[in-house]
Formats: sequence, structure tokens, C-alpha cells
Amino acid sequence: MTLFLQQWYGELLKLFARRRTYIGFGVFSVLQVVILVMLKTLGFEKWMAKVIAPQTDSFEYYISSLTLAFIVVKLAVFILGGIYLTLVAGDIVAKESEDGHMRMLLARPVSRFRLLLLKYLTASAYAVLLILFLFFVAFLLGIVMKGLGGGFFAFAPEISVVAFYDWGPGIQRYMLAALMLGLGMTTISSIAFFLSCFPIKPAAATIGALSYALVDMILRESRFMESREYLLLTKHIGVWARVLAETIDWPLIARSYSVLLAVNITLFTLGYAVFESRDLKS
Amino acid sequence: MALLEVRHLTKRWPTGRLALDDVGFEMREGEILGLLGHNGAGKSTIMGITLGMVRPDAGEVRIGGRSVQKDRGAALRQIGAIYEAAVFYDYLSGWQNLRALCSLSGWWDEAEVKRVVQMVNLSRAIHQKTSTYSHGMRQRLALAQALLPQPKILLLDEPTDGLDPEGIREFRELILHLRKHHGMTIMLNSHLLGEVEQMCDRCVILKDGKKVFEGTVPSQEKSRRMFQLETNDIGLAREVLSRCGATMDKLGIVEVPLNMEPHELVAALVNGRVQVHSWQPHRRTLEELYMGMSSRS
Repeated sequence: MTLFLQQWYGELLKLFARRRTYIGFGVFSVLQVVILVMLKTLGFEKWMAKVIAPQTDSFEYYISSLTLAFIVVKLAVFILGGIYLTLVAGDIVAKESEDGHMRMLLARPVSRFRLLLLKYLTASAYAVLLILFLFFVAFLLGIVMKGLGGGFFAFAPEISVVAFYDWGPGIQRYMLAALMLGLGMTTISSIAFFLSCFPIKPAAATIGALSYALVDMILRESRFMESREYLLLTKHIGVWARVLAETIDWPLIARSYSVLLAVNITLFTLGYAVFESRDLKS
Repeated sequence: MALLEVRHLTKRWPTGRLALDDVGFEMREGEILGLLGHNGAGKSTIMGITLGMVRPDAGEVRIGGRSVQKDRGAALRQIGAIYEAAVFYDYLSGWQNLRALCSLSGWWDEAEVKRVVQMVNLSRAIHQKTSTYSHGMRQRLALAQALLPQPKILLLDEPTDGLDPEGIREFRELILHLRKHHGMTIMLNSHLLGEVEQMCDRCVILKDGKKVFEGTVPSQEKSRRMFQLETNDIGLAREVLSRCGATMDKLGIVEVPLNMEPHELVAALVNGRVQVHSWQPHRRTLEELYMGMSSRS
């Protein structure tokens, strides 16, 4: 275990010493500020009041930092989605192979399986961290705009979730949602990782993964595959918002996350099989 | 005992080109072995297979008795390598690069790293980003990473490629120092015949994926006594020399057998009525050997 952690440290050192790694953090932060300014300009509070008022008398209580943060996060994920996750995961094997770093790494007494596992975990950790960061920054911006306290109005009509929470339980649900989305997004980064194991350009792995995610999302949104929705990854990833329902449907969530876990393991295994069969020579 | 054994390696690339054809040789502890051959002869492929990065179609490489193909992790624990170009993470310092690479060996000892960095003469620049390094500095950092943590065998794939004459000399001295003071066994793949001649004890010459020579580097052949014979009576000379157990090649180079002294051989030639115009000591060069073995023409 100590050896594994030492080896993982090396991978994390490389990832977080790189400027490119922080582009995602920077862009998401800027995007969230832009969304917030736009919401303010477009009269977000009046719109919220219209949505909330029919359901509760104290609607002003729910127009809070948490509610605002949640709306910002949803919009930011919709706009930028998995771009930065796939950028990092698409690079993680393909770029190192292309640049020749992989030959330096594999001149060490480490198996290809172990090396890929380290890289996979690094890409997955980055996915979770980026999403957690996104939620955290949105929360901070919400506090700047609306201050501490107030309720949390969780609103995800696409999966029929409408719920009201006080500050304490609201924060708990918000944090749980952040973690669930972070874990769900590892599947998008797994697709990029899988493609990255082929002898292709890093950009091709990133674009390939993004294209898959986009087509998947379009098929879901267009209801074209309504009877076969369980085949769509974005359907299972979208389950994250169900932790915001007053009564959490854990069996449903567990089923979707089992599917995502199985897809992740399959993509890693296939990626490993591809990488293992390659001769690493220029 | 052989520390590294290359056994019957055969490799065909997906394009159909035969990269190696039943190549085998051994490396003894403490020796420096040169791998020579034209571009595409199979030198780097042997190194790639030795490091488990290229899969052979047949054969295997054993390091300290362990098969690289069956137990790569354990076998490579004894090896340090510079394989193909030394590529580093340019956004990291030299020190951080070493840290990242050594982490894969599950090893880090600051004192030892500092000692090796000092040995390769990189102490001043080790905390600078490698994007600022010259080619020579990169090669020295590559050697430092290969030396960590204390391997028994060094594999060096054209380590002096692109270095200036001072850099080549410095590198050569470092390699010889490693063998002399640390007892290292070194496999050197190089195009520079002079470099191999000065550094290696033995060499393997490859041609089109086949081993065409394995033996002592001419400059190290202290026991072999060669003379250049000039005569018009070639046929007669060959007959006399053959009777004495000596051999002569097409260029008139005579190898004196161990049971005779050179002057006895000259006397035998003269007594055999061979007109000897000239009899000069001859030292065969690696270039002669290489061109004779590897020439494509």
C-alpha cells in the first residue's frame, strides 16, 4: 500500500505541477461569475419568486446563497460539462506516449497495469475534485451575493425533484449532490481515458469522449431512446440530483451508480488490454 | 555467471519487416558491452525488449536469472536505462522529474539523489525547470535517473547522440568511472565506433536483425598478435602459415598462434622460400571489424 501511495504521489505531482490542469478550475470559476452576473441582470430573483411563491408562503427565505449556488452549478455543468475532465483524461496516456514520457516511465520496475491504474485513479480524482471545486466556488459566490443562512430550494424538474430545506439540511444535501455528481462524472473521464490508451493523438481522445457524451445527451434530451434510456450514460449520471429529493430513492441511485461503476471498470479493462498489446517504440 | 542473457530473440513488426532474427548473447558482471549496427539493425529493439516495452515473437531476456517477459517488475529492479530520447516533464524541475520517476520504483532517498546529481555534475541546475536545460544537461539528468536507485546494469541507448566533443568525453569518463568504482555492467548502443572502442570490452554487431559478430573489441585484444605481411607469394605464404597454425586474411593480416613467437613465424616463411617484403605489427580497429561485418555492400 505504501508503495502504491508513493507511486500515486508521483502521478499527482505531475498532474498538479502543470498549468493546464488549472485551466478547468479557472474557466469554471469565471463561467460561474458570468452566470451569476447574468442571472442578476436578467432579474433572477423575480423569476425565482414566481417559481417558489405558489409552493410556499416564505419564498424570500428560499432565495438564498444555496439556491443560487445550485442554479449556477447546474448551468455551469450544462455549458462546460465534461470538457476539462476529458482534456486531462485524454492526455493522461496518449500525451505521455506521444511525447516519449511513457518510455521513461516504463523503464522503471512497474507493470503496465499498475501504471495505468495510477493514471486512471489520477484522472478520476481530478474529475471528482473539479466538480467539488465547482460546487464550492458556486457556494462562495452565493454567499457573496446573498450572505449566510436561508433555505435551499432544490429544483430539478427533469427528474421531478422539487424540495425545500433549511440551511443545515440544505448544506448537507448540497454537499452530497456535489459528491454524487463528481463520482458520476468519472464515467466521462473514463471514456477519455479508454480512448487515450490507443495510439492516437491526445486531442482525438478528448474529442472522442466529448462527442460520445454529447450524442448520448442529445439522444436522451430528444427522447429518441425513451424506451431504451437505461442504455444512455447521461441518464445514469443525471441521477445525482435525486439525492436532493425529500425522500431519496437509494435503490434507483444504487442501480445507476452500479451501471456507471461497471462501465468504468469495463473501460479501464479494455484500455489496459489495448495498452498492454502495444509495443512502445518510436 | 551471465547477469543479462538475451536468448533467441525474434521480432517481426506488424509491417512484416523482420527486426530481429534469433539473436542471442550474454553480458557478464562488470563488463561494458557495445551494441553496434546500422540504422534499423535491431539495436533499439533489443533494448526495448530488455525493458519489456517491446514484445518479442520468440525468445526472452533474463536479468539476474529472472525473465523480463514473465516477471518484468522483479527483473527490471536491477536495471537503469536511457531508452531512446531522454524526455522529461518540462514544467517540472530536474529534481521533481527525478522524484516523479523514482516514485515508480517506490524509492526516494534525498542524500543518495544529491550524491548522484553531484556525480553527473547537475547540482547547480537541478532545481531549475528542465525546459531551460541544454541537450547535454538533459543527457546528464537522464543518466542520473538511470542511476537511481543503484541499479546493477545500465542500458544506454545512444547516450552521447547530439553531444559536443566535451560532452562526449565527460560522458565517457563518467561511464568508465561507474564501471571502475561501482562495478556496473553496462550495455551501450551507439553509432560512434570510436566511443565503443574506447569504452567497451566486447561488442555485438547486428546486421538486418541478425547477429553477425560477438566478441572482444579489437582495442582490448591484448592476447591477439597481428602482423601485416607484404609479399608477392601469397599462395605459398598461406600454405606455410597454415602449416604453422597461423591464419592470414585477404588484406594480408596474419594472426600469430599462441604457441609461436612472431620471429619464429617469419623464419618459417623465409625457410619456406616466401619473399617477405614487409612484416609490421598490426592493430585491427573496430572500424575495420565493423565494416567487414556490417557493410551493406
